[in-house]
Amino acid sequence: MAQTILVIDDSASLRQVVSMALKGAGYDVLQACDGQAALEMLDGRKIGMAICDVNMPRMNGIEFVKAAKALPAYRFLPILMLTTESQESKKEEGKAAGARAWMVKPFPPSSLLSAVSKLCLP
Amino acid sequence: MSQHAQVISARAVPHSMQGPLVTLCTAVLPVWARHLAASRSQSEEAVTEMLSAFSELSPHLAMAARQSRQVSAALAVGEGGVMQLAQACEKELSPLLPGLDANAAATVHRVIAMVGQFVSALEQVVPPLVHETDVVSKQVDRMYVGFQFQDRINQMMTLLLQDIARLQSLMADPGANEEALASADWLARLESQYTMAEQHSDGALGAACHSDEPSTGHGEADFF
Repeated sequence: MAQTILVIDDSASLRQVVSMALKGAGYDVLQACDGQAALEMLDGRKIGMAICDVNMPRMNGIEFVKAAKALPAYRFLPILMLTTESQESKKEEGKAAGARAWMVKPFPPSSLLSAVSKLCLP
Repeated sequence: MSQHAQVISARAVPHSMQGPLVTLCTAVLPVWARHLAASRSQSEEAVTEMLSAFSELSPHLAMAARQSRQVSAALAVGEGGVMQLAQACEKELSPLLPGLDANAAATVHRVIAMVGQFVSALEQVVPPLVHETDVVSKQVDRMYVGFQFQDRINQMMTLLLQDIARLQSLMADPGANEEALASADWLARLESQYTMAEQHSDGALGAACHSDEPSTGHGEADFF
């Protein structure tokens, strides 16, 4: 059975690009347009990892990481931050919140898939 | 030159022009905002449309690449590869030749030669096939990267639209004081909302769009 990856980004085109890359590699994909919508999807279903933008309306990526880590069922959910943020301080914030990796957009699909294969839970 | 130094201070505008300038800005800013919003929306729509077409095409390209790799592997020189077929035929049939009459031996020789020609023709096909597959894969990767620039454009336009809206509301506020109009503070606040390296460096915006390489990051994940 394919692993499921939750893709969180407020840009529809970006979600589509990430989803296409993941589906092409055989993963199932769930999409959410911000942290709040993503959090509502953490309802007990099995998710291998999340790929999350930082700057989003309603609930940003850092807040989402903190909220997800506070849920016992998703405490160990690996989260890759995929963002245009170039500031080191933001990256440190993501790390402190509990994200497992940081990648700056735009990304080559091979790099994303390599990171996903390292992080995704079976 | 820093952004702050490029700004003409309010004092540089002659007093007689300040009233008409406010009137002009009040009229023009909503128009700029409308055009920016329309550009953002049309650009997003176009990219979504292209992505939709690409998503139809992408599995076929991936399938073609996979099949090409399978064909290349099947034709590869080495144990089990088709390239060894001619040698294997010759090896199997040669011991039988002394026992055959002249006509039969000639036929076997012709068959071995035909297999050899066939294998040789395949040998010619493999390198261009591998090359074409590599070229397609690289171009597909470039398209994936290119599509992501819409997100960056979107973010920059959103920030501009927010700043225009802020200026509009300030101009409409009769109680606005000089402090609210301080350009250095205004720019510092705007800069605090930048997320991309290009936004921080003057003159880099155009260069980033023409580069083959992503404008920021190194394309790899940093693991914590």
